[in-house]
Amino acid sequence: MIDLRPVLFIVGWLLVALAAAMLPPAVVDLRDGHSDWLAFLAAGTVTGFTGLGMALGSRPGGKLRLGAREAFLVTVSIWLLGVAFGMLPFLFSGLGISVTDAFFESMSGLTTTGATVLANLDGMPRGLLLWRQLSHWLGGIGIIVMATALLPLLRIGGMQLFRLESSEKGEKMMPRVSQVAAAIVTIYVTFTALCAVLLWFAGLTPFDAICHAFSTISTGGFANYDASISRFGPAVQWIIIVFMALGGGTFLLYVSAFRRDRRTLFRDSQIRWYVAFLAFFGSLMAFWLWVVADWPAGEALRHAFFNVISIVTTTGFASDDYAAWGSFAPTVFFILTFIGGCTGSSAGGIKIFRYQVLFAMAGVHLRRLLHPNGVFVIDFNRQRISDTVVRSVLGFMVLYFFTFVVVSLALTLLGLNVVDSLSAAAACLGNVGPGLGTVGPAGNYAGLPAAAKWLLAFTMLLGRLELMTVLALLMPQFWRG
Amino acid sequence: MRTLDLRPVFLVVGLLLTLTALAMLVPAAVDFLAGNPDWQVFAASAGATFFLGAAIVLANRAGRIRPSLREVYLMTTGGWAAVAVAAALPFGFSGLEMSATDALFEAVSGITTTGATNIAEIERAPPGILVWRALLQWLGGAGVIVMAVVVLPVLRIGGMQIFRIEGAGPTEKVMPRAARTASAVALLYGALTAALAFALWLTGFAGFDAILHAMTTISTGGFSTAEASVGAFANPAAEGVILAGMVLGGMPFVLLLHMVRGHLGWAARDTQLRWYLGLLALAAAMMALWVWMGLDLPFLEALRQGAFVAVSSMTGTGFAVADYGEWRGLPIAAMFFLMLVGGCAGSTSAGVKVFRVHILLASARVQVARLLGAHAVLIPYYNRKPIPDAVADTVMGFLFVFALTFALLAMGLGLVGFDFLTAISGAASAIANAGPGLGQIVGPFSDYVGIPDAAKWLLMAGMLLGRLELFLVLVLFLPNFWRG
Repeated sequence: MIDLRPVLFIVGWLLVALAAAMLPPAVVDLRDGHSDWLAFLAAGTVTGFTGLGMALGSRPGGKLRLGAREAFLVTVSIWLLGVAFGMLPFLFSGLGISVTDAFFESMSGLTTTGATVLANLDGMPRGLLLWRQLSHWLGGIGIIVMATALLPLLRIGGMQLFRLESSEKGEKMMPRVSQVAAAIVTIYVTFTALCAVLLWFAGLTPFDAICHAFSTISTGGFANYDASISRFGPAVQWIIIVFMALGGGTFLLYVSAFRRDRRTLFRDSQIRWYVAFLAFFGSLMAFWLWVVADWPAGEALRHAFFNVISIVTTTGFASDDYAAWGSFAPTVFFILTFIGGCTGSSAGGIKIFRYQVLFAMAGVHLRRLLHPNGVFVIDFNRQRISDTVVRSVLGFMVLYFFTFVVVSLALTLLGLNVVDSLSAAAACLGNVGPGLGTVGPAGNYAGLPAAAKWLLAFTMLLGRLELMTVLALLMPQFWRG
Repeated sequence: MRTLDLRPVFLVVGLLLTLTALAMLVPAAVDFLAGNPDWQVFAASAGATFFLGAAIVLANRAGRIRPSLREVYLMTTGGWAAVAVAAALPFGFSGLEMSATDALFEAVSGITTTGATNIAEIERAPPGILVWRALLQWLGGAGVIVMAVVVLPVLRIGGMQIFRIEGAGPTEKVMPRAARTASAVALLYGALTAALAFALWLTGFAGFDAILHAMTTISTGGFSTAEASVGAFANPAAEGVILAGMVLGGMPFVLLLHMVRGHLGWAARDTQLRWYLGLLALAAAMMALWVWMGLDLPFLEALRQGAFVAVSSMTGTGFAVADYGEWRGLPIAAMFFLMLVGGCAGSTSAGVKVFRVHILLASARVQVARLLGAHAVLIPYYNRKPIPDAVADTVMGFLFVFALTFALLAMGLGLVGFDFLTAISGAASAIANAGPGLGQIVGPFSDYVGIPDAAKWLLMAGMLLGRLELFLVLVLFLPNFWRG
């Protein structure tokens, strides 16, 4: 039987934390003299008491023990309930939006997708703007900790490669999960602070600086203005480029780089692929903008790197409407939505390490065609990986493509055109945010039918939790015995 | 590893060239009878090809051919490429005055049974050229079936080894030797073509059109003798015949052979066939429903259009009956994905193929189920037999390489100036050997005439890669291949 008590206990305490996060927006609105502070207070109270009730009512006697099935259930219910309570401020506020829109916005926030149904951001009360960014920031650290500590144990799509104890043999790198988590949170907060200060130096108001630091380091993509980042100057954009790229890297590696040796960072093969990939596509796009589209070199470089990094790290900021750049750009950006950053970051998508495994596997298949009886092994980070891991990665890729196909077909069924549905499905599954067409960098998701918004919201959840976590709950075996 | 012996490779390439030369005599005769001066072009091309082929054969005669693996790869890819180049000769020297790129594009599109054309106003093309285009697709289709029976299972390309065990049939020993199966399949292919041509003629097609359309239907090629494709004939009965022909062309021919021999029950239990027909029915129904409700057409008309488009896309034929310029959303997206899925393995259609889709989903399901219980023994099944791990791995590897090739090709097409929808649908259409893409430029009622040469080369590469199941070509690029 599934023991629900630890599940409710953990989820309850996290809801209390979510309630606490509703206080800063309340304070901001109170200072601005905006009546929405009451909405945040009310939402915080409801969330806080529900959370406390769940936590206290189900306190397990003795030690907290999670089985595999309980872990799956915790993971999915944290995000679902977090989103459900996170939408309360949107509902209680003066925005007057529907439950559909509130749920979509909240899901997009916590999953760090950054797809928005809210237009006219420029005139929005600051409390709500802060809440959107805070939900990115909380969702970002949530997924990083989860992807570092929990998903490897659950063996999701090849994540078993990143089990904490096996990653650094013999060096005893902080064996306990809570220590690792604390170190990651420290790094995350430090990066956010650094980013905010730099943005402030570059000329943003403190409020904008903090808000955009939140959504940059969490690779979220909400902005405080309809024009996204394009209204800021080059200095701001370069700062955001750097921090988006940092946000798409493995946070655990930053921890060990700070604690011990800077070089560990560059010995990691995933980080190296990631940097090389960003550099390649950034340069390619810059070259194309410079030579074919006839842009000035500096601008071509900045906009190319900004948008390539924004899509690959699944942030979704736009420094310019790349859908209007001409033929090459939309196709490339669509394909880049399938890449994603490194594992153990807040980026979504298929992720770099899976591509490394996939490429290695494809190479093995090719060589096996030539030497049918040869023995080939696949290495990852100088470590031999088992067939089980490779198969797990392959299964993930299949599910990813399959989900993409099903969601895009369903979207066309709901009345979207082909470009919108393909790109919206890819952008939400990869937690990127903007797609092409109506949902492109210059548009938003406001005009979609309600059913499409619900579908896309659940697609974001699927993508965020690496598909298999959610799909496992849908297996009949899960609920049996 | 044995040193690479090029003699058997050249021998096979030479033989194929000789066959191509003989095939060129057919359009030469047609043009001669029609009084078209192009017959000289065909005769000259045939002569040149024949002498080249014969010379290669004579120079590389070996005692007994026992090609090694590497030589089989080389002769397969080399054979297709050489035939395509030879087949381009008549296009290049005919009265159509096509450039070298255009001629080669037409030939590659023909021999790979793609059906993308870059001849404008095809109605005005001389009959010889029309015959040659249809004949190329028909030969290409035959080549693919024979290759799928004889070569691919042995080479274990993308999980095809599953058919090595399977190919023997219900009684395990119906036809032990691949060569005998191949000739029986080729015979069936010819018989089906004749039957289709006869049926089309009965529905009122002229004899010439009937034969040509029969050839491009069974090969799921899609070249037509009219600019507006099959729709130009405004003949619902003929459309029904072509629909049936396309469905047959997307079925595994070895299975068809068993059905002809009376093993109907065995064929009906085949997983791939059931999935293929099920997917087709589902797609046709959804498209018909969309057309019926979305465009307010009469129900039967909607069913006709929906079914035809679904079958034409999934089998990678590329015939069109209606102008779907007004189609939006679902049918367009469904066409795109159906093209990528493709027909059955061992048929004339390309794409990922139905058996792979089944294996992929079965293995992915098992992956999720395994998350729950580490000790549970969960095994995916195909045709009521457990899928060996090696097969499942190869199939998933195939999907990744397929997706990668698609992505690179789409980006390449974007680079030479295609818009998003044209780029992704053009890439899908080329790799899946379908023919028409989506959108204004390469849609079902336009042609590839106006596109840049660079795009044509990219598409040609895509067609060949797709036809040769990607790995057959890619293996040639391994540095190890040429060493030793």
